[in-house]
Amino acid sequence: MSEQVVIRAEPSEAQARWRQYRWQLLYGQAFDPPMQMALDEVLTRRVGAGQRLPTLRFWEWTAPAVVIGRFQSLRNEVDQEVARQLGITVVRRITGGGAMLTEPGKVITYSIYAPPELVAGMSFVESYAFLDAWVIEALRSLGIDAWYQPINDITSAEGKIGGAAQARRFGAVLHHTTMAYDISPERVVQVLRIGQEKLSDKGIPSAARRVAPLRQQTNLPRETITERMIEVFSARHGLEEGRLLPEEIAEAEELVRMKFGTEEWTAILP
Amino acid sequence: MHGEYKTPGGKLVVVDFDVVDGRLRGVQVTGDFFLEPPEALERIAGALEGLAVSEVGEEQIAERIRASLGEGVEMIGFSPEAVARAVRRALP
Repeated sequence: MSEQVVIRAEPSEAQARWRQYRWQLLYGQAFDPPMQMALDEVLTRRVGAGQRLPTLRFWEWTAPAVVIGRFQSLRNEVDQEVARQLGITVVRRITGGGAMLTEPGKVITYSIYAPPELVAGMSFVESYAFLDAWVIEALRSLGIDAWYQPINDITSAEGKIGGAAQARRFGAVLHHTTMAYDISPERVVQVLRIGQEKLSDKGIPSAARRVAPLRQQTNLPRETITERMIEVFSARHGLEEGRLLPEEIAEAEELVRMKFGTEEWTAILP
Repeated sequence: MHGEYKTPGGKLVVVDFDVVDGRLRGVQVTGDFFLEPPEALERIAGALEGLAVSEVGEEQIAERIRASLGEGVEMIGFSPEAVARAVRRALP
């Protein structure tokens, strides 16, 4: 670990919450967009059923995607014709929150799968900041002036970096976050329909100005940021190398066939 | 009809419906909010189905949604009032 990493003292109660578990890291393997959705459900179920240790998974993408929230209207959020032309797959995740555009190597996405006791007694709003506190720490250690903006945004003086979403389901908590690394804001407004009402209390006239990708704020390669995040998580909470089991992958592939790869699910709210 | 309302510091809620014989039909409630359990969305939309356009104000709409929810539902970033406001905004 580099000497620059200074781990801020965390309140011991918060530290104890994280430290009551052995955390496993999944990092490196790339999947297509429907598989990413399915893996989130499978791993949440497995942690909820006690079949897998609490897990931190970094996502690698094989293809660009628009990922819409569980409660969003497909046609209200996505220009499907443009998405088709650009070769972007549209998928729906199991958590709420807003639509996002991802491209291989251009975002940093991770999921935390944890027992509900990790956030017991916290409100939803409190738990978002709690579950991403290590990320804020990692970004700051790289010189990025990042902070948490309730409910679920990671932001900075230059603009929004990313957003988180959570579901409490299958006996576990799923918390996942996507941060823009090198996403073009122009591309975002091309594919996503971002209405004026959504911007109404942010006082920002242009949708394109809402995002400040990490690459714009630091010259560091994406891997360097991810590796720092892993270092900080490991130092704060403990982290062991883990791997996806063949049966977990098989279960996810089946879920793609039955759910996440189907129009029935993606257009569940047309 | 289409109405939107963003709760300050919260999330966007969008309501789409038709008006047939003075009543709301085919109601869809969507947005970038969080809701647990997710199935509660059907109850929220169901509470608006058949609502008479002429009769109800925001408060009554919100009350009707609240009554449909029951125990253990968590709305994060929006509220029955926010949905009610989106409905009123959809109407002329």
